[in-house]
Amino acid sequence: MLREPSRNAEAGRLSTKSFPIRGRSDVVTVSSHAGRLARELGLDARRAMELAIVVSELASNIVKHGVRGEIVLTFDDHWPPQGEITVEAHDVGPPIRDLALAMIDGNDDQGPIDPALILRRGGLGTGLGAVARLADRVEYRDEEDGSKTITARFHRR
Amino acid sequence: MAQTDVPHVSVASERLQLVIEALSYASVDEFDSCLSLLQRSNEKDEFSELETAFSIFVRELGEAKAELNRALTQQEAANRELEAKLETIEMQQAAIRELSTPIIEVWAGVLCLPVVGVVDSQRSAEMTETLLETIVAKQARMAIVDITGIDVMDTKTADHFIKMARAVRLLGAECIVSGINPGIAQTLTHIGVDLTGVRTLRSLRDALQLYLRETEQLVVQQKSHFARRESEI
Repeated sequence: MLREPSRNAEAGRLSTKSFPIRGRSDVVTVSSHAGRLARELGLDARRAMELAIVVSELASNIVKHGVRGEIVLTFDDHWPPQGEITVEAHDVGPPIRDLALAMIDGNDDQGPIDPALILRRGGLGTGLGAVARLADRVEYRDEEDGSKTITARFHRR
Repeated sequence: MAQTDVPHVSVASERLQLVIEALSYASVDEFDSCLSLLQRSNEKDEFSELETAFSIFVRELGEAKAELNRALTQQEAANRELEAKLETIEMQQAAIRELSTPIIEVWAGVLCLPVVGVVDSQRSAEMTETLLETIVAKQARMAIVDITGIDVMDTKTADHFIKMARAVRLLGAECIVSGINPGIAQTLTHIGVDLTGVRTLRSLRDALQLYLRETEQLVVQQKSHFARRESEI
């Protein structure tokens, strides 16, 4: 289900903040901001930390694979009834060929990663898996202009 | 020919020469010398109008050139400033990378890696790499990974942490994981991580005490050794 944020703007409290991701320092900035935001909105400490981890994984991926990108954090107080935080990771980079494959731990979008290469590629290949485990819902779409967006949703419980 | 009916102006070749010279000055941006040459003649005739028009043109050209140079200088200064800022950003990024994996040698041969903040899969891979390299470089016998500051970890990242502890053992050093909180303890047991060979202790303090107890014997031996040497001296 895709929603345009503007449609609910009058009906509920909705706030959006966008963070450009240019390097490792931006990863730290955006993930700590996300954790703070989640606690302000009443998520418990554990859930807030899980959100921060998801944001960190998605932002790290932008630094690693994307040419340039941004993380957009949106809080919608209106829909679903309990409210949700969405993390949109948007970047201009090669599309994920096979998302289901990439979400399996130790895989990238082309299949299993050679363990010997893990140190060199700067990651374990478990980032998207972590996103899938920790978020309530994950969506992926290739944009018309060749960029891609991964959306992770966190419901307020 | 029709041209013979057109009125002619006669000019002393000296004045013509001055204008040519002035033009050559203008062509190499020597606008002041050019203007002073043009102002030399006091004659008031049709040719002097040309000289006046030429000098106005040269003055304006000179001002435009000076303006352009000022703008260029400003641009260069701005560029230099921008480059300096970019350099600062790069330095800060390097500092952040370093700070995200601070490894402290708390005792001779004992390394401590305090982990705080958000740990994602990439950071945990970086930590492993840095810790293993440092153990080899410092010839450490023990590494204490303190995760008191971590409340939540993804299961796979937690699994990787335990693997890091095993890799440390492969290098001939011992690895103690301290400060595991209830949430992470549940995560680890839930995914069925094999914890054999990984020592876990409640706090960094406990880990250091254990190390001291175990090396007490060694310390006593060293002390008596130094005491012997001192008495010899």
